[in-house]
Parts: sequence; C-alpha cells; structure tokens
Amino acid sequence: MTLSRKDVERIAELAALHVDEQQLPQLTQQIARIIDYVSQLDAADVGSDAATWLATSPPQPLRPDEVRPADLTRDLKSFAPAFREGVFVVPRLTAMEDE
Amino acid sequence: MTWETVIGLEVHVQLKTRSKMFCACSTNFGDPPNTNVCPVCLGLPGALPVPNDGAVRLAVRAAMALGCEVHGLSVFARKNYFYPDLPKGYQISQFEQPLSTGGRLDIGTLEAPRLIGITRLHLEEDAGKSLHDRFPGLTAVDFNRCGTPLIEIVSEPDLRMPEEARRYLTTLKRILEYLEVSDCNMEEGSLRVDANLSVRRPGAPLGTKQEVKNMNSFAAVERALQQLRDRQAATLEAGGKIELTTFTARTGELKPMRVKEESHDYRYFPEPDLPPLDLASYGIRLADERQHLPELPQQRQLRFEKTYQLPTYDAGVLTATRALADYFEGWVRAGAEPKSAANWVMGSALADYNEHGRFRVSPDRGFALIQLVDEGTVSLQAAKQAFTILGDHPGDQPRAVVERLGLVQVGDAEQLATWVGEVLAAHPAEVQRYQGGEEKLVAFFTGQVMKASRGKADPKRVQEILRERLGG
Amino acid sequence: MTALAERARVAADRIEAAERRGLHAVLAFDRNVLLEQATKLDAAPTDGALTGLVIGVKDNIATLEYPTTCGSRILEGYRSPYEATAIKRLKRAGALIACKTNLDEFAMGSSTEHSAFGRTQHPEQPDLVPGGSSGGSAALVASGGADAALGSETGGSVRQPASFCGIVGIKPTYGRVSRYGLVAFGSSLDQIGMFGRDVRTAGRVLCAISGRDPNDATSADRPPLEFPEIPNDLLGFTIGVPKEYFPDDLDAGVRAACDRAIAHLRKAGAKIKQVSLPHTGLAIPTYYILAPAEASSNLARYDGVRYGPRYAPGEGDVQAMYRATRGVGFGPEVRRRIIVGTYVLSAGYYDAYYRKALRARWLIARDFDSVFAGGVDLLFTPSTPTTAFRAGDKLEDPVAMYLADVFSCPANLAWVTALSVPVGRSDGLPVGGQFIAPQFGEARMLQAASVLEALVDRAAEAR
Repeated sequence: MTLSRKDVERIAELAALHVDEQQLPQLTQQIARIIDYVSQLDAADVGSDAATWLATSPPQPLRPDEVRPADLTRDLKSFAPAFREGVFVVPRLTAMEDE
Repeated sequence: MTWETVIGLEVHVQLKTRSKMFCACSTNFGDPPNTNVCPVCLGLPGALPVPNDGAVRLAVRAAMALGCEVHGLSVFARKNYFYPDLPKGYQISQFEQPLSTGGRLDIGTLEAPRLIGITRLHLEEDAGKSLHDRFPGLTAVDFNRCGTPLIEIVSEPDLRMPEEARRYLTTLKRILEYLEVSDCNMEEGSLRVDANLSVRRPGAPLGTKQEVKNMNSFAAVERALQQLRDRQAATLEAGGKIELTTFTARTGELKPMRVKEESHDYRYFPEPDLPPLDLASYGIRLADERQHLPELPQQRQLRFEKTYQLPTYDAGVLTATRALADYFEGWVRAGAEPKSAANWVMGSALADYNEHGRFRVSPDRGFALIQLVDEGTVSLQAAKQAFTILGDHPGDQPRAVVERLGLVQVGDAEQLATWVGEVLAAHPAEVQRYQGGEEKLVAFFTGQVMKASRGKADPKRVQEILRERLGG
Repeated sequence: MTALAERARVAADRIEAAERRGLHAVLAFDRNVLLEQATKLDAAPTDGALTGLVIGVKDNIATLEYPTTCGSRILEGYRSPYEATAIKRLKRAGALIACKTNLDEFAMGSSTEHSAFGRTQHPEQPDLVPGGSSGGSAALVASGGADAALGSETGGSVRQPASFCGIVGIKPTYGRVSRYGLVAFGSSLDQIGMFGRDVRTAGRVLCAISGRDPNDATSADRPPLEFPEIPNDLLGFTIGVPKEYFPDDLDAGVRAACDRAIAHLRKAGAKIKQVSLPHTGLAIPTYYILAPAEASSNLARYDGVRYGPRYAPGEGDVQAMYRATRGVGFGPEVRRRIIVGTYVLSAGYYDAYYRKALRARWLIARDFDSVFAGGVDLLFTPSTPTTAFRAGDKLEDPVAMYLADVFSCPANLAWVTALSVPVGRSDGLPVGGQFIAPQFGEARMLQAASVLEALVDRAAEAR
C-alpha cells in the first residue's frame, strides 16, 4: 500500500499538527517508508490470542477514596502561558458550545 | 400515517466520591476555579493516573442494581481528541471491555412492567469546564471538574416516547440516589443526558438518528425529544431526508451544533498506564458486593405495602427518595403506627421539607406529637400547627410547645358540658331536626362548640357528650 | 573544604570543561545549585546509600531545580512544579543532583541528534554520536562529569549509549522503578534507567530508586531492590546465547569482543548454552508500531494551553493554536512518530497494525519466558550491532536509525530487565555486552555483570 499525501494531511489534521506545504512531499515519503517497513508484520503469523497484560507481580492496591494535598510546589501561574482570574485562557473556540 | 419513535439515552453520572477518579483531588462542587487540581488532573508532563477504589465499588454497585453483568476483568482505554478542557488530549474511559454490560431498567409498574435494555455501564473520567463567554474572544478553562469519576450508562434504543425517556431518567435517578452512588442533580451537572431519536414507519428499518444535548432538566429532555420527533416527522412527510445532526437544547429551542471534529476517530486503545481492572485481585468480590447492595426502591416500596399495609400510592410517595423512606421508617421505629406516620410524613413533614430542604422534625419528636393527639391532649389541627413550630425550634419537645401555644385541648367534662348546653340551647330548630333523624347535624353542633370554645374543645369528647344529650 | 564540597567542585569543573570542549552533554547546569546541595548535605548529613554521589538527570525526568524540556522546543523553559519519585528517592539517599542532560527529543532516537538544542558528542571522538536517546547522560558519566546518571529506556535508550560510550547502563524490569515524573513516551515500555562507570555504582542507583510507588499504578507491588552479594565466580549460572543475536553479518569487532566475553563467562564457571528466540525478527516492526502509537497519544497534551510556549497565529481559534504550537514545537523525528502512531491507531488500520503488534509483542515475551523456564538464568548478547557511528550517517533514512535498536528493543517489549557492560574495544571504540534476565531478575544479572566486568578489566590491564 502506498501512503498518499492526502493520507498524511488527514493524519496531521487528526493529530493537530500543522505541516508546511513544502515539507509535505518529503514527509509523505518518509512516513510511507516507515509504514512499509512496519507492514512486514502483516505477513507474520502472530496467532489470534488476545494479548493480555503482563501480570507477573500482584498489582498494587487501588487508591483509597481520600482527598490529599496536590503535589504542586509552585502555583499555576508559574508555568501557565495565559492565566487570568484563576482560569486558563485560550483563543476562543469557533464551534462554541457552552455546557 | 403513524410514525414510530425510537429513542436511546446515554447518561453520564458523577459518582459520589470524595476524591477524583485518578488522583486525590477533591470532587467538591463550587470551589474557586483551578483550586482542586494537581499534576495528574492537569495533565502535566510525567503525571500518571491511579484508580480510585471507592469509585470502582460505586460503579459495581450501580451496575448490579441495573441488572448488568459485571465483568470481573475490564480494561481502561484512551479516547483521543483535542479540546481545551481535556488536558491530556485523551479521556480515560472504557471501550472494548467495559465494566458491565447487558442490564435493564423497569420504568413501568408492578402490574405493567416496561423493561428498557441497558447496553453497558462503564467507568470514565470527566473533563474540565470551558467557559466561552467569560472573556471576549477567549475561552476560559477551569479544571476543578476534570477527573471526577463518571459512569456512562447507555440504553438500548428501546424507548418509544419522549415521556418514557423522562420516566427512564426519574427511575434511574431514584435508584442511583438510593444506592448513594450519585446525587443525580442535573443542575449541578452530576447527571448529564445525551439523547438520540429517530422515527420510522412501524415495521420499517431504523431511521437516521439525531442527537440532542445540553438539556438541564428531565422535563427539558422530554420537551427536546418531542420537538425532535415532530421535526423529523415533518421533514419526512415533506419528502425530505434526515441529516446526521447533533442539536443543542440549551435555550429550550433545538439548534444544530457545529460538531467538534469532522471525523470522530477517537483511536481507542487500551490505557497503558493502568493494569486491567481485575476486580478480584483488588479485593472486590462480586458476591459480597451483591449481598451488601442497599435495598432498591421498588423492593422497598413493596415491603412498605406488605409490612406496613400501606396502599401502593402511599408506598410510592414514601419511597420516592431514600432520605424520605429512611425518615418514614424512623417514625415507625420510634413507635408510630405506620398509617399514622405515613399521613404525617406525606403531609406536614414533606411540606416542611419542600420549604426548608431537610427534615427538621426528628422521628422521635414526630412520634411524641402523634401520642399527644392519640391521648386527646391536642386536636389533629392543633398538632399540625405545632409541627411547624417544632421545625423552627429543634430543641423543643412537643408537649412543651403545645402548652406554650395554649393548644392543649379542653377535655374537662364540666366545661365541655357547659359549652354543649349553650350551643344546644341556642339552636333549638336544629336540635329538633336532629331528633327527627338528621344525624349529620352532629357535625354542625360540634362546629358550634368548637367556635364557642375557640377551637380548644376536644371534638371527640364533644361528640360523645352531644350524642348523650341528644339521645340516639 | 569538606570532602563532599570538594567532590561537588571537581564535578562542576569537569562539567564546565567538557561543555567548553563542545561535548554538549548538558542542557541545564548551574554550579551553585550543585555546590549548595553539597553544603546542605554537610550541614545535615544522612546515612543515605548514595551520599555524595553526583548524578546527572536526563531532561525528560521532572526536577524542581532545573527546567524539564525533554530536548524539545515545545517545553522550552518549562519548570515542573513537582519532582519525579526517582528524584525524591535519590535525594533521600543523599545524592547530589548535578544537571539535566541532553537527549533525543522526547526520548525518540538513537543518537541524540534529534535534540532541538543541538547534538551531544561522543566523549572520546567528537565526530561520533554517543548513542541515544540518553546520549547526554552517557557522555556525562563517561567523561567524568558525574558519578552516575539517570536515563530512560523505551527501546534501548540507556543500554545503547552505554555500549557506545564504554560504560554500564541498566534497564530495570518494567514496573521496577516508578515512572511518576518520567515524561511518557511509550508508557508500556518506558522505564527510568541508570548509568555508571561500573556495575556497582549503576546498581546502587537502581536499588535506591526502585520499589513500589502509589503514584504509579504500573509500578510493581514490591519493596526496593537490595544490591546482591557479588560471588567470586559464576558456578551454578546457566547463560544462554541466542543465535538470533549473532547473525552471520554481525560486525566482526563486536563479535570478537563478545566472544571473548563469553570465554570469560565460561572460565568463571558459567554453563553456556545455545538458545533461540525465534520471534526476534518481529521486534523492530512491533516496536515501531507500539511505541509511536502510545507516543502519539502521550504527546497530545502538548498544546500550549497549560504549560510551555504557545504559538498563536494571530487570528484563529484554539484549534489553530494547537496546530501552530505543535507544528513549531515538535522536531521532525517526533512529528514522524506522531504521524505514524496516529495512523496505526486510526479507524481502518487499528486491527492490521496496532492489534497485530500487541500479539507479536506477546509472542516475543513468550520467547523469553520459554528460554528462562528451560533452565537458563540469563542471556548474553551484543548490546548493539555496531560501535558508535558517525553523526549524520543515519539521518537520511529514518528506518536506518531504527535498526540500531535490533538487540535492545526486544527486552523492552518483553518487560524484562537487561544491562550493557563494557566488554572491550573494536577499532578503538567501546563495545558493550548485554545481559538479559527474567522479570525482577536484576540481582542475578548484577552478579554476572560484576564478575564479567572484573574479568574484562583484568584482561585489559594485562594487555
């Protein structure tokens, strides 16, 4: 199967990743190369057993339902790119839906 | 030209836990924004989810109460999409192997059950809150809600009328509230509904379904579905086609929503940060959980009918909420005769609750009040007056209150005889009519004595004396 | 000046000298931060197992003292408000956090050439790569700037640079060390690993940071590892040599060094047994489906909303902000992996790629289980197919770089533990030999590696 430019554009859209027009051809080529490479798994017989999680050690117990102080040594403003009156702000969503 | 309506409901319910699903932040509603947050629910680099034991147990409880098959092994999965209130860029939910499947909810009555299938009930985490109108040109995000435990309950498309959808919701709420799984408060957002509806000619294959979201009450859900059904019927009758659309009913009118992404490719895959939810290995034994299930509302209602000999209607009213049912049984345990307690609870206590938001008169005081009536110390009327006062003064005992208010009935035979004598003397014509056979007039005379005594006479004793005097 | 302060000063001087030389192992370093820690420790001494040990930290592990950039523009300047459990435990053990080290962006790479902040040089030969993705940590330790360093492993990112740089690198069993604070790349593969110039140092670091952590649901419910008694010989050890790791076209120099190592093991009394791990050939394709898939999801949180720089393209809504921020913030290798990962998870491709890869992984893991169940204690293999390669050599073809992980990624896929220990040189460049042990079998592995290390050192001295 050959991966097309359209495919890469669609995937980049899904991944919220902007790709410059001029970079698209080379990127498509590289992605196609990688997909071709990993596609060799296709030919392999891997059986049909559902792969289950590794379970060598007993799992840790679940967390008890208790409130604990947050692991934050600095306030949110110290790392937030845009913070106003206690809330994070971003450019408004065009497809607005308030809850 | 009839249309059959096919409705399905997807309900998200916030679990009543202290801490969030995957971190130890508080789930308290209404705190200042971004004060119940931590690296995990903010999606900071390197943070990891750790599941809440209490949330899992509540979800199991809910699943059992809805007759679902609870799977001893289920798997968390990532639902990937981009949105500002989804900090990790994915929601931890369940997909291919959910916690439970295959339940049912009876929205009918004992005589006429109406079972609605439940496809699945699974665990997931809530997102934060986006506020689009707080600042112009900006969207503000509060992550307090982010990570709150949710159960998603998906019904089969078995509902056939908007009214049934409403009943489904009230029945579901009653059960979940009984189990103390959730407050199911649509206004606070602890219960959210996504409804889907399609119409078809009876016997025809299913039509295209449309969704409606953002309703803020059960009544609003019913209304929105009515509107949607009418819309679809009108479209089809005019020869049009039903488009795949999602509507918002936030304003009460249906408005098409711009869908969040053109392709809802959520790219689900098993959550690698969490081991499978193997209940047994976490000490959650299904048999024990089933045994410890609180009594369900319908069971309790039946028990009230049988054990307390209450009519169905009364039993239904008294089991409308867990709190009410518990309160009523408190009165019975205190010593009240069930029918009497039922009248008091359904009447004065419920009225007081609706006004003040809680049961202000304890069952013990309620019973003491009933005793005062039974022993003739006060009339029923007077007792009802006293009830409100008891609510206002939580420390006071009924006897003290009725005495203070001067509500104590006069039962003194001499005084009563005097009043009776006065009344009979004043109404000779009526006396004659009574003696002529109009026995109903005893009520008239009683009323007159009550007036003369300014309500203080014990009406029962008055009647006795009247009958003696009048003979017959 | 106390001994501790002196150690800190010497380390600081060495780090600065190496950086001036152009090593570029370090992304963040302030000598005062290091010296202050030494002062504090002198004032309040502990009997911690790592007291006074100078440790570098790969820049994808959250620390409070320095930013955590993951070698990426999208986290440039980001200061974590919390620190990783591993860091907490290092401090509790008395270690001194020296600096943050360079890495391939978000740990994706095998040469450290994919760092957004410039590549790291090989500690001996500047034109060569130190390996990756933990190249900065490896170069730092090999050049003497620190006694030890933390790295991270997803497909070999500690063992491969350890092999290239001639030092010891350990990949713990999955779940042995908490991942809380390790910026996720491939969550079901990631583990914090460690470097040291000898097995004992790296091993002690492993012990200090290992053990259950309630903040990581995938950390095993086990207490911390205790460093084992090192025996004088390897009598009673059965060591398997898997044929798939000694292909006919294996680099001659690597083969020679490994053969000498196997001879040492034999002389030490170990029984050597030929074994097979038949699904080894599936490892790289499997890895390059699973790791990018998980990465595509793990990196979705980098959107400029809550932390890191934000690129808002003037007008445009939040979705435009995401695209711009991520378009500018991620480098080409990360971008490729996100796209591959998104692709293999997307509708229509999930079954053919992701689901299939999950099953292949299971087969690979079962290969190891079978061999270990058959009376083999450990496996011995080359760590890497070649010695350190030239910078720029493998950048043309993305797949060429991936093939460097051929001997290392199976252990990550199988959730087992492995380490690389120097076993000699080829054309003057270090060669690493790899031990692979069953899950939670670190103790035996440390024992065998220690014995081999002593024999190799003695042989080198003799020459």
